[in-house]
Formats: sequence, structure tokens, C-alpha cells
Amino acid sequence: MKAPTAMATPPTAPRKEERRIIIRTLGMKKQYNRKGQITHALRGIDVEIYSGEFIAVMGPSGSGKSTFFNMIGALDSPSEGRVFIDEVDVAQLTAEELAFLRCRKIGYIFQSYNLIQYMTALENVTTPMAFGGVEPDDARKRGMEILELVGLQERWSHRPIEMSGGQQQRVAIARALANRPTVLLCDEPTANLDHHTGQEILDILQNLSQNQGVTIICATHDHRMMNVCDRLMWIRDGGIERIARRDEVEVELAGIEGE
Amino acid sequence: MKTIDVQSQPILSFARTLGLALSAVRYRLFRAAVTVTVIAVAMAFLANILSESLIKGAIAVHARDGIREMRLAETWVANLSVPMPGTALIDRLAGHDEEPSRIREIAGLADISEDELADLVPVAVQARTYLQFFERLDYGRRRVLVGTASGPDIFRRLADDPAAVQRLFDGLLTMLSYRFPTERPDLEQFLTEWPQLDAWIEQIRAGQARAIRDVHRHLDGRHLLAALAEADGPFGEILAESGFELDDEERALIAARAREAYRAYLIEASLAEFEIRQNIAARRDILPSDVAPLLLWNLLRDEDQAGWLLGRMQALDLESDDLDAATLARLAREKARERLMMVAELATADTGGGFLGLGQRMTWLAFVSMLVCVVGIANAMLMSVTERFREIATLKCLGALDGFIMTVFLIEAAILGVVGGVAGAIGGLIIGVLRMLFRFRTLLLEAFPLTPLFFASLVSIGVGVLLAAVAAVYPSLRAAKLAPMEAMRIE
Repeated sequence: MKAPTAMATPPTAPRKEERRIIIRTLGMKKQYNRKGQITHALRGIDVEIYSGEFIAVMGPSGSGKSTFFNMIGALDSPSEGRVFIDEVDVAQLTAEELAFLRCRKIGYIFQSYNLIQYMTALENVTTPMAFGGVEPDDARKRGMEILELVGLQERWSHRPIEMSGGQQQRVAIARALANRPTVLLCDEPTANLDHHTGQEILDILQNLSQNQGVTIICATHDHRMMNVCDRLMWIRDGGIERIARRDEVEVELAGIEGE
Repeated sequence: MKTIDVQSQPILSFARTLGLALSAVRYRLFRAAVTVTVIAVAMAFLANILSESLIKGAIAVHARDGIREMRLAETWVANLSVPMPGTALIDRLAGHDEEPSRIREIAGLADISEDELADLVPVAVQARTYLQFFERLDYGRRRVLVGTASGPDIFRRLADDPAAVQRLFDGLLTMLSYRFPTERPDLEQFLTEWPQLDAWIEQIRAGQARAIRDVHRHLDGRHLLAALAEADGPFGEILAESGFELDDEERALIAARAREAYRAYLIEASLAEFEIRQNIAARRDILPSDVAPLLLWNLLRDEDQAGWLLGRMQALDLESDDLDAATLARLAREKARERLMMVAELATADTGGGFLGLGQRMTWLAFVSMLVCVVGIANAMLMSVTERFREIATLKCLGALDGFIMTVFLIEAAILGVVGGVAGAIGGLIIGVLRMLFRFRTLLLEAFPLTPLFFASLVSIGVGVLLAAVAAVYPSLRAAKLAPMEAMRIE
């Protein structure tokens, strides 16, 4: 899907003014130094993401989208600039605290599900709870609740290999939700799924965003994401090309289609 | 800007970590089996050579003792036949502390006080060292250094002729790979003391010769072995009167062994009778000239055959020392055991030395096999880590600590190490025991080193676990330090 216009627009504020900022980056830059050759993956990104938002991040391969995700997911630290997740400066954290942050604050959903193959669906969901120190009995109970939420309570004892792609992705979503994260980071969650199953996943995400108040940041090439997200963000050549609210983009699309 | 509370992650209990490692091993059972096989093979090798060398060591001791006891009668026949050669006397004097009764005997026979003899001990020790040096040389080198002399003659030649000492050290200069045990002044000092030792050696030998003559006067035409068979009786008194020191225990032992040896001598002597020889040859379908004592003893293990031989001997009016068939058969079986011991002594001649008495070569082999094992395990663990990049990264995204990841992999390696170690130790032990059983037969049961073998298998298991853990340190460290975004693969 092509970005509607080349002109960068300033970050657009969400409609609900009372929402607080959950992720903020200040002049975030990242360089990779491989054998003396410096690659600028990010050239300075300032973005504020609000609690409860559903943001779709778009951009071609090599645009720095992946690096951006690593930064705001506390998986990597920027070369310059700062990243705040829930008002905590990620750069200040120790390895243990980072693990804590990843465990409690952020849920990750991957394109290829990344379930642990030798665990059942329920065990996959309860693993992050175990890391978070939840008692096994409580974890199982809560795990079943979350599986119910994604409609898989019947298949709790199945291993990933016995499930379809869509079911695996739903288990992955359940796992991401295990410790009630503030932010859900999704990496192309529908890319490996067929049209219908992808729609199911989108429905679940939309439901989470609207009813559970989870912040969702979603890298995608799936244009149906436009129907469920609040804002869209385009990344190109390590910088933000454009951020726009969905209604703004819809207006433009309507204009393009009208021509 | 307000900060929120960020704490450290709780550390997962060992039981849960173990559970996770176990299920991971179960999931990759085939890979685990291959790794376990690598460990098991290496540990089987270690356990095998450990157990074999332990068994060999135990059998070596057992066989040496057995042979010494077995030869007691022969030794005394020799003692009572000729005076000890000078080299043997020097050995005995140098080994002063080992057999005090023999030294006392020497002193008594030569009419030298024990204290005087004790003064000579350091000289004898020195003489033994030099003799050992010359004995190790081949004939050509010895010829260059000391001419045709051997044993105490070497010292006599060197002491008589200063030029000979000069020739010795000149010759040594041409043999750089041989080190003379001492410096030249030490040898020259020794040579000044030598005549005294030499004179006493002659005195001792003269004393021994006198005592031997004494004893022989009382033989009354009996065979020496037959006489020794009464060492616990009247003949023992004769020995004591002639100056040979023997306590009651030794006498009883010598008597028993001498009786057996005498009987064996009589039986073997019966082969001189053509009729007996031909008869045995006919039974075995071989030529009479091929009938050897060994074959005779094999035959006599059967009681019927023993009875037959005794019957023939009686008919031919040969002396048989009141042997009956059962005793002779037992004697024949005893002979077989003696032969087994000789074989065992030869087969275990190379034991000792190296790590844990494995011998130099085996130590080296064991070391190499351990090295191969470490590399094998490290490779398997590295593969396991590489294969699970995504899983590790996912676990880290879910909040796993580096230490947790590392523990999982170390535990996994330890599990493989324990399983492989136990399997290998048992396998190697069984193979080793069976091999040794095949080689040493009943001797193994007589000298089975149960406790050392038990500890050897514990050592093998321990080494297996240790190797697996050591080999897994780097891969697990690498897994722990792995950046979590490896699994993100966005784009």
C-alpha cells in the first residue's frame, strides 16, 4: 500500500485528550557499525504514543521499522536520544529491570507466532506469568481465562504443532496478554495467515483495543488494519514520513479514489 | 517526569527450571540421544581403561605374590645349592630394611656383626645403583666402558686400575644419552670403599658355602626338595643349626611348597620312562618325543588319568611319594593355576605409571578421548543453542533472565552428562570385566578389586557430567547473551 502523500505531517494528537503518553521517543537514532561501515537505521525519531491507542506502522523493507520496534519494545537501546516506556527511561535500566519491563509492560506478537514448541497452549500462556512470579495455580486459572478470551479454551492442552496458524497466533496473543501489559507490540500479525483468519486476529486486536484499553502498536502491510487502527505511521529511510489519524487518511483515500 | 516502579525479575525456582530443561530435552530426544551417545562412548572408553588397569594392577600384585610363594621351594633349593652371586648379595644388602631376618642370616653365616653389616649398607646401595646403570647398557656400550667385566667384577676392575676409571669417563662422553648416576669423585670415593665390601661379600659367600656343605652332609642321598618337604620337622633343625634363619611360619610354608614341588618333580620325572611317555603319546595321538610336562599336567587334571599314571609308576617301581589320584589331580589343577599366574604376570608387566596407574599410553589415549568428548558435547550444545535462537529470544521477550537461560542449558548438559556418564560407565565396566575375565579367568575372581572399580565408575560418571557442563558453558553463555531482537524479525 502506497503512502497517500509524500509530505510529512506533524504528529497528530488523538481525539481523546485525557489519554496519557505511554511511549515517547526523543531524537531516537540508531547506527549499526559493521566492520567499519556505519549504517544509519534510524535518523532521529520523535514520537508520542498515547495509552489505549491502536497505531499501525507501515513502511517498506529496510525503512528502519524493525529497529524502531526493537527500541520501543526495550529490546535494544538507541545510539542517541531517549526512549521512555510508561515514563521509564529504558537506557537507565539494568538487564534484570529490562526483563521486568518486557515481562510486565509489553506483550510481543510475532509474524511467525514464536510459540515454544514443546509446551501446550496453556503452558505457553503461563510461561511469562512464571517469569513474573505468579503462583502456578493462579497462572493456570488466569491462563484459561485469557485462552477463553481468544476463543481457545477447548484447545488448552494442544501443542503448537497440532494447531492451525490462526490458532497459534491466537495463543501468541493470549501469551502476550498474560501479564496484563500496557503495550502490545505486533509484528505483521496477519502476514502468515489467510484472509479469513487474518480478519479474526484483527477482530481480536480491535476488541482488545476498544474494550480492554490496551495500547497496540502494529507493524503491518495489511490494508485492512486501516479499518481498526486509530492512527497510521509511515516510516521511510530511518525517519517518520507521516503520521495521520485514520479519519484524515480515509478522507484522502476517498479523494484519491474519487479522482 | 514521574518514574514508575521497576523491579528486578524474580528468580525461577530450580524445580521449574529443571522441568523446562527436561521438557526441552524430551522434545529434541533424537539430538539428545546423539549427544548422550557421544558422552557414553567417551565415558565407556574411560571406564573401560580405568577398570582394566585397576583389574590388571590387582592381578599383577596377586600374581607376583602367588609366584613368589610358588617359587619358595625353588628359591630355597637354590639357596641350599650355591652361595649367592655377588650381585644378588649386593641387592640383598642394599634392601637391608625389607628383610631383616635375611640380613641377620647373612651376618650369622659370615660371622660379621650386624652393626658392621649395617655400616656397609650405604656402600651396597651405591653399588646397586651403579650395577643397575651398567645392566641397562647394551653389550657394545658396556664393552667400551668397562670391558668384558660384569657384576662386581666391574668394581674390581675399576678399583685396581685408575686408567680404567679414566676410560669409563672418556667413554661416557661419547654416550650423551646416558647419564652416569653420580659424579666422578663420588665413584672414586666409592671405589676406595669397595675393597672392604668386596672382602665381606667373599666372606659371606664363604660362610654360605660352608653352611651349604653342612646341610648337604645331612641329606643322606635324599633329593633336596624331599628334604625341604620336612623343613617343618627335623630338616628344619638342621637348617637352623647350619645358620639359616627361618621362623616356624616360613618353615611350614617351605615344607608345603617343597612337598608339592617334589611331587611335581617325581611326576615329571616319570616321563623319562619310555612306556609312560609312549602311552601318553598314544592317548593324545602325538609322537612320544612331543610329550611335554605341560601336556602331562593337562592330562592329569582328570582323576582317572591321574590314577592310571600312579598305577603305571607303581608297576615300574618309581617313587611317587604316597600320592593318590585325587591329590595328583588337585596338584595338576594347581599347576594350571600357576601357569595362569605366570601368564598374568607377563600380561600385567606394563601396569603402573601415568595418571591413576593407567600407563603412559593409556593416559594419553584417555586424555585425547576426553578432548574429543568435550568437542563433541560443545558442538552438540552449540547446535542446540543455534537451533533454538528463536526460542531463547522469545523467552527473553517474555521476561526470562540471562541466568535462567544459562541455567536451562547447563542443566540440559548436566542431564545429558549424567545419562551418558552412567550408561558409559556401566558399559565400559562390563566390557572391561568381561575382557579381563576372558584373559585371567579364575585369577580375576581371586583378586577382584571391587571397591576401586566402584570408585572408577563414579569417577567416570563424574568426569562425564563435568565434561558436559564445561563443554556447555560457552554455548549457554552465548545463548544467555543473545539479543532478544534476533527473534523479532520484523520486515
